[in-house]
Amino acid sequence: MSEKGEVDLTGAKQNTGVWLVKVPKYLSQQWAKASGRGEVGKLRIGKNQGKAEVEFTLNEDLTMIDSLGDKPSGVQAPRDHPFTMQTVGGQTLAVFTETQSESSKERISLEGLVVQRAECRPAVSENYMKLKRLQIEELSKPVRLSQQLEKAVTTNYKPVANHSYNLEYDRKKKEEGKRARVDKQQVLDMLFSAFEKHQYYNIKDLVDITKQPVSYLKEILRDIGIYNVKGTHKNTWELKPEYRHYQGGEEEEKETDD
Amino acid sequence: MASLGGSSSSSTEYIVRVPKNTSKKYSIMAFNSGDKVNCSSWTQARMERDMSNRRMYGVEETEEGAAGSEFGKKQREESRRKKFGIVTREFKVEDQPWILKVNGKAGKRFKGTKKGGITENASYYIFTQCPDGAFEAFPVNGWYNFVPQAKHRTLTAEEAEEEWGRRNKVVNHFSIMLQRRLREQERGPDDDDEEGEKGGKKKKKKGGRGGDLRIHDLEDDLELSSDESDSSGGEDGDSKPKKKEGDVKGKGKKKKKKRGSDSEANEDSDDGDFEGLEVDYMSDESSSEEEVGEEKAKSNKEAVPKGIDEASESEEESEEEKQNEEEGKEEEEEEEGKKTPVQTKKKRDSSGESDTSEDSDIDGEAASALFMVKKRTPPKRGGGRGSGGSSRTGSRPGTPSIDSASTSNTLRAAASKLEQGKRQVVGGSSESPAAKRLKMESSSTAVTTQSPAPSGKSTPQPPSGKSTPSSSDVQLTEEAVRRYLIRKPMTTKDLLKKFQTKRTGLSSEQTVNVLAQILKRLNPERKNVNDKMHFYLTE
Repeated sequence: MSEKGEVDLTGAKQNTGVWLVKVPKYLSQQWAKASGRGEVGKLRIGKNQGKAEVEFTLNEDLTMIDSLGDKPSGVQAPRDHPFTMQTVGGQTLAVFTETQSESSKERISLEGLVVQRAECRPAVSENYMKLKRLQIEELSKPVRLSQQLEKAVTTNYKPVANHSYNLEYDRKKKEEGKRARVDKQQVLDMLFSAFEKHQYYNIKDLVDITKQPVSYLKEILRDIGIYNVKGTHKNTWELKPEYRHYQGGEEEEKETDD
Repeated sequence: MASLGGSSSSSTEYIVRVPKNTSKKYSIMAFNSGDKVNCSSWTQARMERDMSNRRMYGVEETEEGAAGSEFGKKQREESRRKKFGIVTREFKVEDQPWILKVNGKAGKRFKGTKKGGITENASYYIFTQCPDGAFEAFPVNGWYNFVPQAKHRTLTAEEAEEEWGRRNKVVNHFSIMLQRRLREQERGPDDDDEEGEKGGKKKKKKGGRGGDLRIHDLEDDLELSSDESDSSGGEDGDSKPKKKEGDVKGKGKKKKKKRGSDSEANEDSDDGDFEGLEVDYMSDESSSEEEVGEEKAKSNKEAVPKGIDEASESEEESEEEKQNEEEGKEEEEEEEGKKTPVQTKKKRDSSGESDTSEDSDIDGEAASALFMVKKRTPPKRGGGRGSGGSSRTGSRPGTPSIDSASTSNTLRAAASKLEQGKRQVVGGSSESPAAKRLKMESSSTAVTTQSPAPSGKSTPQPPSGKSTPSSSDVQLTEEAVRRYLIRKPMTTKDLLKKFQTKRTGLSSEQTVNVLAQILKRLNPERKNVNDKMHFYLTE
């Protein structure tokens, strides 16, 4: 598997430069709504009196803000976003990608190095203020709400002659009937195959597996097994050592003397 | 794409695209500036997730499949955890750190840990310029801070722990620095392996040494004795002599070193404090020792006068010596001087106590040991001495366990010697030991309650259940054997038990021979009871 883990270093070698831009949450939400090829806006880079100016303008159709709740927000996202440019500083920031294709071959490749950091700031405008207000309102809503009810709640617990669940249970029990004793040999076979899978069993589980009455099952178990009272496997039954054959052994040779 | 000319400013406009369905997940790999990482210099690199934390989150997997597993154990464990509200955090692969290896095996290694919370309030996008001039923005999925990993000299954690452990005991920082410097010098030309070894060896030795340091904080005491009792519980004989030697040597060394270092650097006033402590300690110990020595002497008397003398002699000697040396040495001598196997006693000690420093304990133990002494054979009588010994060193909390729990070899040798000595003394008449015993017992204060015992000589010991008090001294005569066999059928073993070597003054071999002769003469009838051959006589 030399493919896995191998990092594609083409980006690093080419010294591809990328920008790392911090974008406000609402803007990224709007971008997620983009359609088609994913065009979200225009970036204008200008040189104004020696200083680089970068500004991003959001596309018109992406300015509608959805809000939670029933009513439409009526708020529009601001369109102009100047970028604040920053240097990368002391850090070396590289960008790498993980590709998970359908053939489940995960490739890691180094895309490039960050040459410029920027922060996308909204231009302060009326729209923005409204947007912010909306956000604050949503956030300030308490998570829990105490509400007074006019009428008492009566739908939860009603007295019932017998719960439906109980009725079902009774019916199931009747249908199953009492557990019948089958042949001892059969029971032993069942037990042995069960003990092949696990070493320790609870008596209840064994009753479940074998569907035998408890006393009968206990009789049989006393024959072939031992009951652990203390130790890690408390109150469990296990086969007697002479019947045991673990570490991958089969128990065909175990004969039970009846 | 389109470039619009602006007035007095030239700007170009680019279209920004946010590609929708891309299978690539972008992440940031951040390096520290100090590491001077130059990505373009990498020839090849491998990166994969560090899965070493998986077992932390994964449940302890007991054996799957047949042996040792329970039916429905997993479900039960899970429901139990839920009941107690234990919430185990899931092991998420995406949150695991990365391991980046650059330039193959010989190159650098980096570990990249995920930085949390970057996507909470704002999102990061990577803007790349496409060939067509447009920008493409990709959201950043995760931010990983990569730090270089040192491949060599990774034992600093152990070392630090070790130093810290010693720190509490050695208050002299100079010695610590000195040691470290020496170690560094040694380490220079060595490999890592050797260094690790040395560290390990040193640790062991220091553990032994440190354990013996008589800086008597309670913690030390507990620590040490637990260690000791563990080890003693584990092995019986072999490790002990070695350890003892190590202890002694270590102590000697440590002492010297301390002295040396004291002379060299007296900066800390702490040194002075400790010196005062030591002095106090020793004075205490000597006084308590004398008391205990007496007790021991009393307990010894029963056995053999010679034994006592020797023991007391050695004690005295050792007392003197102790003034000069650490008790380790003296204990050793004392052990030998005791000449009794402390096997059973040792077992009791090692299993029972870790602190035998209380006087009440000592008294109680001595008394019980003396009780024991009455009714058991010499080997077990050593218990008395053993307790005495341990009690003596009880005031020195660091040592009792070592003492009592150690050197069964030497003790066994001592035991045999003692028996021989005893036999020589008591050889002829059986009266003398009894008489001596009685005398000594009456004189010993601690044993007053026991004076009637020997005369009564009710030995409940033999399991054959003969509870009737027989005559005070049992001579291995035909008459005695006949009496026993008439009363009840006995096996040879039972008979031997009746004629205990300490009573008859014969060695076990002699006893066996004499008994055999007697039986031949008597020619008792045989009967098989419980698969054992019993003899009996009908008269």
